[in-house]
Amino acid sequence: MFVARRMKKNIVTAAPSASLFEARRRMLEHTIPQLPVVSEDGTLVGIVSDRDIRAAVLPAGLVPGFTAGEAERFMKSTPVERVMTRKVVTAALTDTLEDAIVLLHDFRVNALPVVDSAGKVAGIISRTDVLEAFIDAFGVGEVSSRLEVVVPDRPGMLAQLAAIIGSFHVNITSVLSIPHEEGKRADFLRVATMNVGPIRKAIEEAGFEILDPSKFIL
Amino acid sequence: MKRVAWVYHPDYLLHAPPFEHPESPERLVAITDHLGRVGLIERMVPVTPEYPEDADILSVHDPEYLNKLEHACRRGDLTLDSEDTYLNRHSFNIALLSAGGAIAGAKAVAEGTVDRAFCAIRPPGHHAGSDVGMGFCLLNNAAVAARYLQARHGVGKVLIVDWDVHHGNGTQNIFLEDPTVFYFSIHEHPTFLYPGTGRRWEIGKGKGEGATLNAPMAPGAGDGEFRTTFEQTLEPAVVRFRPEVILISAGFDAHRDDPLADLHVTEEGFRFMTRHVLALADRFCEGKVVSILEGGYEISSLTSCIEIHVRELLGE
Repeated sequence: MFVARRMKKNIVTAAPSASLFEARRRMLEHTIPQLPVVSEDGTLVGIVSDRDIRAAVLPAGLVPGFTAGEAERFMKSTPVERVMTRKVVTAALTDTLEDAIVLLHDFRVNALPVVDSAGKVAGIISRTDVLEAFIDAFGVGEVSSRLEVVVPDRPGMLAQLAAIIGSFHVNITSVLSIPHEEGKRADFLRVATMNVGPIRKAIEEAGFEILDPSKFIL
Repeated sequence: MKRVAWVYHPDYLLHAPPFEHPESPERLVAITDHLGRVGLIERMVPVTPEYPEDADILSVHDPEYLNKLEHACRRGDLTLDSEDTYLNRHSFNIALLSAGGAIAGAKAVAEGTVDRAFCAIRPPGHHAGSDVGMGFCLLNNAAVAARYLQARHGVGKVLIVDWDVHHGNGTQNIFLEDPTVFYFSIHEHPTFLYPGTGRRWEIGKGKGEGATLNAPMAPGAGDGEFRTTFEQTLEPAVVRFRPEVILISAGFDAHRDDPLADLHVTEEGFRFMTRHVLALADRFCEGKVVSILEGGYEISSLTSCIEIHVRELLGE
């Protein structure tokens, strides 16, 4: 899956000359915690977050006698380009969702502007967008029951499970497989039926271990 | 002793699975046998349900869905959409008669011919939405009864207490934006059990915000956790809502012996829940309680729990 499919395309941006006051107003209006800063031709030049703004205002706020009115004047007279982060962690349009997940994690950022080959901002992908992809992948909210099966870590095990479930004419709506104890994997399946009893029984009769729900790993 | 309606129809046995299935007529056969053997049926007021008026079904279900269901049965389809919900040629009629059973129980209580009602009906209902059947359910019996009470008996506020081990996604959706029907469900947590809804932040929408309350239980939870939830979560909500009638979506599959789920409620847990709901009904709605059978698939615990449930309804 590519980031282009999950990114938000209607992005809200700020010009480098926009005031902190204006940037904060846009963030509040759209309930987003950051704005990509773009030049007139749409080239990404930085990113400004609500934290950057707070950090810029805070030192002045510590001066005795500093008033709300002064804070507002400060924010109105300070351009975004003075506080923005210039070395922006970005994703490319051709990056995959996995790339985005690793970037968000490794660089500890909240969102990645997605840039095209010309360096122009095409979208933005945030941690929330990634979580949404996980909600879909886990099948959360789909009418289904869940099974966790421990299988030997060798080829063909998931195929056997799928065949068993298929023999009951039941759809599988989500599949995840993760390493478990030495030589084993835990396969996690969501199945579109309330009647999981016979499926559980058939899986156990085929020699697999079905985890007790109170011992679910994932 | 209280007068308790025994709502049952022999035709409920006609909705039968074309393959091995836990929601079978044997459930009702076992319940009637057992309650007869321990002398409880003769102490209840027999009520024979009738086929409901169209308007009472249409107050909950879409006409297109009813058409689809009727045609699927007439065609001889073995299942409805998802493969877990079976059909036979009688299923449409018996689903109507099942909803008619919930109505008959509600009617007897509303008119005061009985104090309380137990509706031994099937197919069950709480997974059925206005336009979809699933999870062994075709029509939403409890929802139909709630709407019937409001439309025909001038009842304003209805509380539905759903202690079936599965979340009643159908009932929740039907009343999601309705502030006049309060839906409370205690069930095994959606991460572990069908249908995968009923998380604690699902509290209703729009005008109905706050009139849905979900209490998901971790696998292994039993009488203690249920008791705490009834006392500390349900009761304050009922005090605020002040229902005029209480419907129970009475499933007995939270029992520790039930094969479909992973909770450990015992007979004593069901006794406590029944007593607690009756006490709330005495406080707020002149004791009006209509108990409507939902799930429960292990015959021995199903019958022993219903015996206790009925004994409590009778006020022994």
